[in-house]
Amino acid sequence: MLVKDYMTRHPIMISPETDASEAQNIMTENNIRHLPVVGDGKRLLGLITREKLHVPPSDLGSLNVWEISRLLSDLKVKGMMVKGKDLITTEGDITIEDAAKIMLEEKIGCLPVLEDGVVGGIITDTDMLAHLAHLMGATVQGVRVTIRMPDKVGESAKVTDVIASHGWGIYGGGGHDAPKQPGYWDAVLKIQGGDKEEVVAALEQIEGQEIIDVR
Amino acid sequence: MKAKTKKKSRLQKFWDSVSLILASRVATVGSIMVLFWLVLAFISLFWTPYDYNASDFLQNLGPNPQNWLGTDHLGRDIFSRLMKGTQVVLLKTRLPGEGNIIIPGGVAIWGVIGSMALGVTMGLNAGYRGGWWDQVIMQILDALIAFPRIVLYLVVIAALGQGDLVVILAISITGAPGVARLARSLAMDIKTRDYIRAAETRGESVWYIMFKEILPNASGPLLVDGMLRVGYAIFAIGTLGFLGIGLPPPDPDWGNMVNEARRNIFSNQLAVIWPALAIATLVIGLNLFADGLREEMTRYQK
Amino acid sequence: MNNLKKAPPVLILEDVAVAYKIRGGEIEAVQNVSFEINRGETHGIVGESGCGKSTVAWAVLNFLGANGYVKRGSIKFQGQELVGVTGEELRRLRGDQIAMVYQDPMQALNPSMRLGDQMSEVLTVHRDMDKKEAEKRCIEMLERVYMPDAANVMNRYPHQISGGQQQRVVIATALLNNPALLIMDEPTTALDVTVEAVVLDLIADLRREFDTAIMYITHNLGVVARVSTRVGVMYAGEMVERGTVEDIYKDPQHPYTQGLMRCVPKLGADKASSILYPIRGRVPPPNNRPVGCVFSPRCDYVREICHNKRPELLEFSSGVSVRCHFAGEIEADKWSPSDDILPPEIITDTSPREPILKLDNLKKYYEVQGSSLKDILGLGEQRYVKAVENADFDLPRGTTLGVVGESGCGKSTLIKTIIGLEQTTEGHAEFMEIDITDEISTRGEDVIKELQMVFQNPDSTMNPSYTVGQQIGRPMKRFSTVPKDEIRGEVIKLLESMRLGENYYDRLPRQLSGGEKQRVGIARALASHPNLVLCDEPVSALDVSVQAALLNLLLELQQEYDTTMMFIAHDLSVVRFFSDQVAVMYLGQIMEIGPANAIYAPPYHPYSEALLSAVPIPDPSAEQKHIRLEGTVPSAINPPDGCRFHTRCPRRELLPDGGAICETEMPPWRETAEGHRIFCHIPLETLNTFDPVITQKPEGSNHVS
Repeated sequence: MLVKDYMTRHPIMISPETDASEAQNIMTENNIRHLPVVGDGKRLLGLITREKLHVPPSDLGSLNVWEISRLLSDLKVKGMMVKGKDLITTEGDITIEDAAKIMLEEKIGCLPVLEDGVVGGIITDTDMLAHLAHLMGATVQGVRVTIRMPDKVGESAKVTDVIASHGWGIYGGGGHDAPKQPGYWDAVLKIQGGDKEEVVAALEQIEGQEIIDVR
Repeated sequence: MKAKTKKKSRLQKFWDSVSLILASRVATVGSIMVLFWLVLAFISLFWTPYDYNASDFLQNLGPNPQNWLGTDHLGRDIFSRLMKGTQVVLLKTRLPGEGNIIIPGGVAIWGVIGSMALGVTMGLNAGYRGGWWDQVIMQILDALIAFPRIVLYLVVIAALGQGDLVVILAISITGAPGVARLARSLAMDIKTRDYIRAAETRGESVWYIMFKEILPNASGPLLVDGMLRVGYAIFAIGTLGFLGIGLPPPDPDWGNMVNEARRNIFSNQLAVIWPALAIATLVIGLNLFADGLREEMTRYQK
Repeated sequence: MNNLKKAPPVLILEDVAVAYKIRGGEIEAVQNVSFEINRGETHGIVGESGCGKSTVAWAVLNFLGANGYVKRGSIKFQGQELVGVTGEELRRLRGDQIAMVYQDPMQALNPSMRLGDQMSEVLTVHRDMDKKEAEKRCIEMLERVYMPDAANVMNRYPHQISGGQQQRVVIATALLNNPALLIMDEPTTALDVTVEAVVLDLIADLRREFDTAIMYITHNLGVVARVSTRVGVMYAGEMVERGTVEDIYKDPQHPYTQGLMRCVPKLGADKASSILYPIRGRVPPPNNRPVGCVFSPRCDYVREICHNKRPELLEFSSGVSVRCHFAGEIEADKWSPSDDILPPEIITDTSPREPILKLDNLKKYYEVQGSSLKDILGLGEQRYVKAVENADFDLPRGTTLGVVGESGCGKSTLIKTIIGLEQTTEGHAEFMEIDITDEISTRGEDVIKELQMVFQNPDSTMNPSYTVGQQIGRPMKRFSTVPKDEIRGEVIKLLESMRLGENYYDRLPRQLSGGEKQRVGIARALASHPNLVLCDEPVSALDVSVQAALLNLLLELQQEYDTTMMFIAHDLSVVRFFSDQVAVMYLGQIMEIGPANAIYAPPYHPYSEALLSAVPIPDPSAEQKHIRLEGTVPSAINPPDGCRFHTRCPRRELLPDGGAICETEMPPWRETAEGHRIFCHIPLETLNTFDPVITQKPEGSNHVS
């Protein structure tokens, strides 16, 4: 689960000479929020986001309508993009969670991914959310159970043993330490093969564990 | 009904070729220049302003209302002589012997026809048969090319004497290698086509394949080349005339006119210019015409 | 994989029309073409020649030339409008994000530069990468396209590698920039079937790995079925049908698509799948398209409205869109061929007939001139291209022999030797009990006229300077088979049996279409009523709909005149339904020969098996064995010892010692009961255990890859 497998390859890219209004159009039409700005050979020069395209009202305060429209039509992406030190990129070879960490730390929504020094793709917060949904098995049919278990080695093996013995399969899931209950661990599993009652009946047999949610 | 459609198609064909020429500006200009001289030549058959060989006027006159281009050192009208001079180049050839037998087609034209016939035969043989034929024919032609042209002319004329036929022969021999090379390369290209295979599998003779199967498809480029060669031939005639071994009198010869006027260049410069200009315009006209035609033809092929 | 995040398509064409300005007006080469390509998807575009497939590709790249332009519609690439974009912006898009692969790899490669230099140039010039690094990348990329010995290939020149490898280099170069869109215009058409199969596999792999959108243009329905996810069918400048490969092939809606499916050989389990039903007529030229539906002149279901009104694009719930007034109403199953396109019935006369042609160990070697000083002085050892080796078979009168093999296998040389265009090197050939070992100039006229040939290339089969009548009449005149004053009548009779009217008599070749030229070529070959006609791939340069008509015609004529025929083809699907016998050649050697039915079923020669599994079949429900040949065909100057196929044979392990015997000894002829001979060391019992190459997928297993 590396960034290079989950990023959007061949993102829409624009040149620094593009008009800001054009960039705005491209974003709206394609329903995207980030555009890498590239030079010859897809070398990354900057990144443009929807917020960056907003012109601060203070810049316009003293101008009349004609001057404003001229200013807006003359604006180029070159002057508005994120660039230099502020531009944070990543390589395709890091894990998805590391990428998420970078995005959280920097409070950004998009990381251009470089391959051999040129743009190979981008990964955005939307990609992360899609990835989360996939991890949790949002795209498959099945029973979703949340089990609260003691935070000890061997507990989740018990669960998988039970599932395996019934011939069911786990199609997604994850774990998290239980909120407000130290020493416990919440595991979410998407199980395919049995119906709701069967799954609950089987998992309830496990000692020391508790099913807190089934849907 | 059938005859009618055929007639129409012939007219159509003629119009097609005219529009082909008109499509190229270069060819149009060229053809106008050539047509100008052709028309003059035809007119001269029946009428020239004055007798071209009579010394009717003062010597070395400049252009004036009577003699549009002036007169030469013997007091002959230059314009009449230029007009008459077109004939031997483009319209008639005087055969040797009694009775002044004249055949249509100028010396330049027959010279080119001669070099085409010779060159095409050799080129097709070399190109189609290949192998030893190719080796031997091309060696002979290379040897011919290695001689300076003027020397070749001198050799031929020294051996056979002066006369229209000799000039034709000289032009034919010197022109043949170039034609042969072109014909050879065309034949080598065309012989790879499947219809040649088909003819071979019918057991057709070599001559049939060369002249009936290959030649018609090579005729376009050869024709254009021939047109260019008429220009070269006129040039050659001019050169020979200048050296005094060209077309014999009584008909005026442009090259000879230049040569004679040269002696009086200090008293009458224009007398040198006019025949030189005549040679130049006709040759350039032919070249432009051939070039434009070639361009248009290759464009239509694609 | 169903993805939650929906990415916008890479390329969207909307109602695009492309026009070319010509003298006195303009021609709309392409009209109303709309489609989109998603990332990681291969979108096939199929159609016959002159249907505007390539024009669409040129339009995307804005390579339309000085007189072409996009007249209407919009082309959006990565959300940006391409129509009207020029100069720097266009150059940047083309260079960095769109790549193109053409039919002929030699046109894309510079013959005077080393492959490594031209490949790394892309990186060093475009991206300022340093040379060492760029070369490393190139080698990696070559390895990714499965180029054997990649590092070494970098130092070679284009002519030093084979056609399939050249195409791989071109693809690798195209991928170096990691383009978002790859346009492939008939990338495998010039390649042999076994090489084609490998390249197609490669394209499928790369699409997945690089997430590239591919626009795949081809005329070959089989190729599209193998590589594409969706496909658009183009006819006369319009996209008449579009949908997923499964839908289009299983249940074509447009009459043209239905017709196309019927006129390509399917190579299925039974012989009936090889019967072809042509579409009558031909593709209208762009300046003379009908007013109404473009397909109306050739359509079997045509009604009044079709002639007057252009059909709109109808979309079905399945996602298939069709440009036909009656889409959805036409049932392809109920179609039955009308009389004029019905293929002739095949009369299988089992009674043995005397052989008309006997070949006895026929060999044809060409001398090659070495380039070393020793060779020039004539001291070097004389070397030969061993073009045909030990051809040995009899051809019974009135039958058809199909000869199949890849380019360079000697099949053309074989028939050229038989007809006498080449001198036999060794062996013996006998035709109608007359010796024809020597070349044609030594033969009598009575032999020559009985032995005629049909050629491959329609554009060069006829002499452009003579009319149709003159060319067909020539053999009659030459062999005096017909009195002079009857020639015209005879020629017209022949033209009519070619389904060409009397009005063709005075036409010149340039006024004919490819199919018509080929018909005239056949008429010329038949004019002297020969006993044996040798056909050198007469249909391979023609469009599929025309191909079928011509094949049926050939068959009919053969039966009518009781002619014996040898028919060369480069893949096994074409010759199947009308050959009595089929021979498979590899590197000058006949590997397998036998009755047609026996060739397509086990026992196979390992090479025939590989050939069969490489042929792209226009039927997504057919299951084909996956056999790919390694390496390239060895040089005929120095063919491998023993069995010529041993260097690439995938079945060698079946023999003890991994087939050590194959490298040293010529294989024996193994003969089955019905006269089917296989040239292989593997015993018949083992060969018999091979599974059939082509099987039908069980119904219902709708497996999407």
